Amino acid sequence: MDIFVNPSGELSIYRQIMRQITDAIAGGRLKAGEKLASHRELSEQLVIAPLTVKKAYDELEALGFIETQRGRGTFVCARLPQPDPVLQEEQIREAARKLLSQAYLAGLRLPAVMKILKDADRELTGAVSTEKVKV
Amino acid sequence: MKPILEFANVSRSYKKGVPVLDGVTFSMTEGEVVGLLGRNGAGKTTLIRIAMGMLYPHAGSVRVFGLSPTDDPVAVKKRIGYVAEDQVLPGRLTIAELTAFHRYLFPHWNEALERQLFERFELSTGSKIKQLSKGQARQVALLCAVCHRPELLILDEPAGGLDPAARREFLETSIQLLNREGTAILFSSHHMSDVERIGGRVVLLDKGKVRLDRDLDRLREETCVALVPRGSDPEGAGIERTPGCLGVRLVFDEWHAVFDGAPDFVRHELHESLGVNGIRCVSMPLEEMFIELVGGDRS
Repeated sequence: MDIFVNPSGELSIYRQIMRQITDAIAGGRLKAGEKLASHRELSEQLVIAPLTVKKAYDELEALGFIETQRGRGTFVCARLPQPDPVLQEEQIREAARKLLSQAYLAGLRLPAVMKILKDADRELTGAVSTEKVKV
Repeated sequence: MKPILEFANVSRSYKKGVPVLDGVTFSMTEGEVVGLLGRNGAGKTTLIRIAMGMLYPHAGSVRVFGLSPTDDPVAVKKRIGYVAEDQVLPGRLTIAELTAFHRYLFPHWNEALERQLFERFELSTGSKIKQLSKGQARQVALLCAVCHRPELLILDEPAGGLDPAARREFLETSIQLLNREGTAILFSSHHMSDVERIGGRVVLLDKGKVRLDRDLDRLREETCVALVPRGSDPEGAGIERTPGCLGVRLVFDEWHAVFDGAPDFVRHELHESLGVNGIRCVSMPLEEMFIELVGGDRS
């Protein structure tokens, strides 16, 4: 997958990395068991401090998305964290209500929101990025 | 982790009664990267020269690897690499002659690293120093500063005067050194995006004092700027008294105040202290934060 960072972006660099990896896992672009770039590779490709990559990987590991196998590297977990399905659906419904309320206040109609959702889906499932970096 | 560089209450002035550094205290541990920020004249270069043993502090103490850089200059310089802001290299020498001199000075000179950097920078050994471009001269200075594999690398404005491509190359090399050698780096810079890329922590000097010393991610996530209409607090005193306030300045008809804390929390605190609801609090990139903290009034 491709990762890119913007040092002056709204999120700190390690959060930008975390978000792109979780997005790629959610969209199926990173599959269970797939190997990620090492700290050193990713830090040199993105020209960022190795500790920043370590921080992103450590947090993703604590959240149960990736695992480090000593001497072999870092991989996407075979079993991803499974949240409570009822609770999860309730949260998603709440997020949808919030999204629609914000969109309607901004004067958007449902078809326009659907189009935005479809674009976001394409971004999650098919790679869209500017800086080509292999992870 | 062991501290490798410690400044304790360091003060120094060039003119009597006009301190350039005024009680600076901070330390660095092994493998740490610290970006030293501050406006021109804030004392960055003076502090770096004190760490290098090129200047004495007038008060306070500095320890590098636990040693005094003025009492044990050789022991300290063996383990330290330094590129000055206005590095003067001997123009009559060729690059090969200059590196041979360094190889002679440093018994642990790493020739493999030297060859690797020569290739990376595409330098030709026979070129005379005076014929090099500014970017190439910086590359030679970096090469001479790192091939003895220092535990601490001090770079004073490493990107000063370099074009974006040369700056990126300099950064890439520094990152490789971080990765491969575990070198700790103290660097001063005005390029905030460079600091955001490689700095783990920032120390902001302002009028000779440490204004801010913080982990960069924490600074991005747990510091924000509140924009308060002047009418809500004509003198700005209420904002200054609000817990977590790091600094206030007037920008035309609005107070810009930097706060410790996420935007929601700060909005709540300001509501408590000023009685004003819904004050805009925003997270800002390092460059904006820098301007807010040391930029002065614009009224």
